[in-house]
Amino acid sequence: MEEKRLYKVTSNPIVRVKRDTRSIMLDVIIALLPAIGMGIWMFGTGAVIVLASSVISCVFFEWAYEKLMKKTNTVGDLSAVVTGLLLTCVLPASSPWWMPVIGAFFAIIVVKQLYGGIGKNFLNPALAGRAFLTAGYAAFMTRWMVPSALAGVVDGTTMATPLASLYGSDALPAYYNLKSMLIGYIPGCIGEISTIAVLLGACYLLIRKVITWRIPLAYLGTFAVLTFALGKEGYDSLNWTLLNLASGGLVLAAFFMATDYSSSPVTPKGQLIYGVGCGLITVLIRYYGGYPEGATYAILIMNTCAWAIDALTRRRQFGVSAADVKEEKAKLAAEKKKAKEGAAS
Amino acid sequence: MPYKYYGGVHPDYAKTASKSPVRTIAPPKEVVIPLIQHIGVPNKPTVSVGDVVKMGQLIGYDEAPVSAPVHASVSGVVKAIEPRRHMLGDMILSVVIENDFKDTPCEDLVPLTEEQLNDPEAIIKRIREAGVVGMGGAMFPTAFKIAGARGKVDTVIINGAECEPYLSGDHRTMLEHPVELMKGIELIRKAHGLEKILYGIEKNKQDAIDLLNSLEPEKYGITIVPEEVKYPQGAEKMQVKANTNREVKPGGIPSGVGCNVVSTYTAYTIYRACYEGMPSIERVVTVGGDCFEKASNLLVRFGTPLSHIFAEAGGFVKEPERICMGGPMMGICVADDSAGSVKGASGLLVFSADENREKEEPVCIRCGNCVLHCPMKLEPVFMYMYVKQQDFRKMEQYHVMDCFECGSCSYGCPGRLPLTHTFKQGKAMLNAKKAAEKLRAQAAQKAAKAGKEAKA
Repeated sequence: MEEKRLYKVTSNPIVRVKRDTRSIMLDVIIALLPAIGMGIWMFGTGAVIVLASSVISCVFFEWAYEKLMKKTNTVGDLSAVVTGLLLTCVLPASSPWWMPVIGAFFAIIVVKQLYGGIGKNFLNPALAGRAFLTAGYAAFMTRWMVPSALAGVVDGTTMATPLASLYGSDALPAYYNLKSMLIGYIPGCIGEISTIAVLLGACYLLIRKVITWRIPLAYLGTFAVLTFALGKEGYDSLNWTLLNLASGGLVLAAFFMATDYSSSPVTPKGQLIYGVGCGLITVLIRYYGGYPEGATYAILIMNTCAWAIDALTRRRQFGVSAADVKEEKAKLAAEKKKAKEGAAS
Repeated sequence: MPYKYYGGVHPDYAKTASKSPVRTIAPPKEVVIPLIQHIGVPNKPTVSVGDVVKMGQLIGYDEAPVSAPVHASVSGVVKAIEPRRHMLGDMILSVVIENDFKDTPCEDLVPLTEEQLNDPEAIIKRIREAGVVGMGGAMFPTAFKIAGARGKVDTVIINGAECEPYLSGDHRTMLEHPVELMKGIELIRKAHGLEKILYGIEKNKQDAIDLLNSLEPEKYGITIVPEEVKYPQGAEKMQVKANTNREVKPGGIPSGVGCNVVSTYTAYTIYRACYEGMPSIERVVTVGGDCFEKASNLLVRFGTPLSHIFAEAGGFVKEPERICMGGPMMGICVADDSAGSVKGASGLLVFSADENREKEEPVCIRCGNCVLHCPMKLEPVFMYMYVKQQDFRKMEQYHVMDCFECGSCSYGCPGRLPLTHTFKQGKAMLNAKKAAEKLRAQAAQKAAKAGKEAKA
């Protein structure tokens, strides 16, 4: 008998949305371009060297690990490129070329691949890489190049960041004001200096639905409310809050770091709690910590809570009312009591 | 105003076929009519090889209440009664009829009298005789469903959401046979013994909503509810929620909250059975997908081999890879195109490899889209993990049994995880475990009883 042609059988749904992991990562890359572009404009070749070293080593480590472990190659999903770009964003432009390599090793090999690769890491790889470098090379991580916009205004090649000035004993220098901080005419890590550039990318992510508003809004909202309430002597509360929002890597962290899929909660309520937690810890570190920048550690700490938050913020499924849940709980309690009494007698 | 429900997705609706009228296709030389086209007890053939049958003649029947008889969709000679490939994959006893192209009508069923048209018993009896099943795709015997709900439900909803992409047969029926459709809905209302009935229609069919509203639906006791355009609006539980704000309990059915849901084409088929004496032998099928130059709505006799339907639809313009029965979200892949079309096949979509976005090694990136898309408010990302680990306790804790396989999670998954498929497996595992436990309990009981008797 002639062999009958059989058609392929797959499970439903037969169709899938076009968007895949690669296109999401591509969107993140696009969203990071303004911030990194601003960094390159302000810091020149130093930023370019960090960028190249970081991206190349992230991609290389991902490829090499998977090659070595005979795993399927996932360089094509572009997630390693995203990690490389994010790591670039949170490093000073004055970092020597080998520093991003170490950071990339920690981010890709230790944090990402050893835990099972994309989607399995419980810490944000780029931030973990930065934290590792801060622990190991604190001097390099706190050496801030003078941005091209301030060349001639200040002497020397390095200077203090606005954040350090805000929380330091001296008054804020005149060349730091809200406008210059929003545009990015300030020293700092490559991707964090320009709040406007970061927000531009963030809008793109929100429009493309790569991220939702929950985590960033809860994060920045909590941070703003607390900073406003706590205030600082010699500053107008509103001005103080805005200066705080625009300095350091806060906005970058809220939109690009805290929203990292695999290290943040997935339930809507959980995302809000997580964002609030990030905001709270950031304020605590900025006010009471020995280190001016709090976002990195705030997010890393909340990362470790993500799975627990998910487990505690599960929704009532469709068809179950609050009364049903109460009834179920009462039933369980009664059963337990009965069992206890049964055991006693 | 319709009530909202959580989650859902907005796939590309691709309802291009809704613009052109339904076209009746030339009947095939031979129809293959499976004796099971419903959920329930299989029919036994009532004809023999060599018999001359008329169009609409009963050819398969079983007296069990959960069954629906089948009828000859063409007139001609019974060539064979043998197992043939069913659209759903199994070999099923089927009646093969060679078409004489005369369409000699069968006189067994006559239109109901005026009196009968007002008698719930007579209507339900006719629905049963005409072999009407849930034409939305569920294929549950309609007479049994209505008889079971009568007296227990206070609300009946006709499902006109047609939320699946591509499908537009219901939309065309609303536009082309509005009065007949509403008379059919009136019959369903009367069969339930109710004064009013709701008709939920997604707002993307505004022309149909306007047309029906202009034809005095209140005369038939119908209230039209325009619904939000969102998949899976047409799922039973979502229809109940959207129309009444009641939520069907986990593991329950709509009648548990006093509702019954009947689909649009079922209502139209009931109209034809009662007013015209025409049993369920044909339906509108949306034929589309990227393998056709143009999507179309075709009036197809049941038992028409799929290959014949595809040729009538203009043939393939691309190399076909998958055939989908029903809509692309909840539809089922058909492997063999010689199978005969069945009552529940509201769509026949043929896709090339270009539309296949499955991945060999899907990876979860924990984006959480599935959590936001699940209309049952479940957490597919964790359910997937626990089913894969076969952790039964966690599977129950995460309510795997509540998944009704709408496909929203898989649809929106950028990592291309086979979420829906895995939950089907998980549900089967849980069911098997439950059955095994029941058997064990029964055996233990038996043993205990035997032990007692031996003692006595």
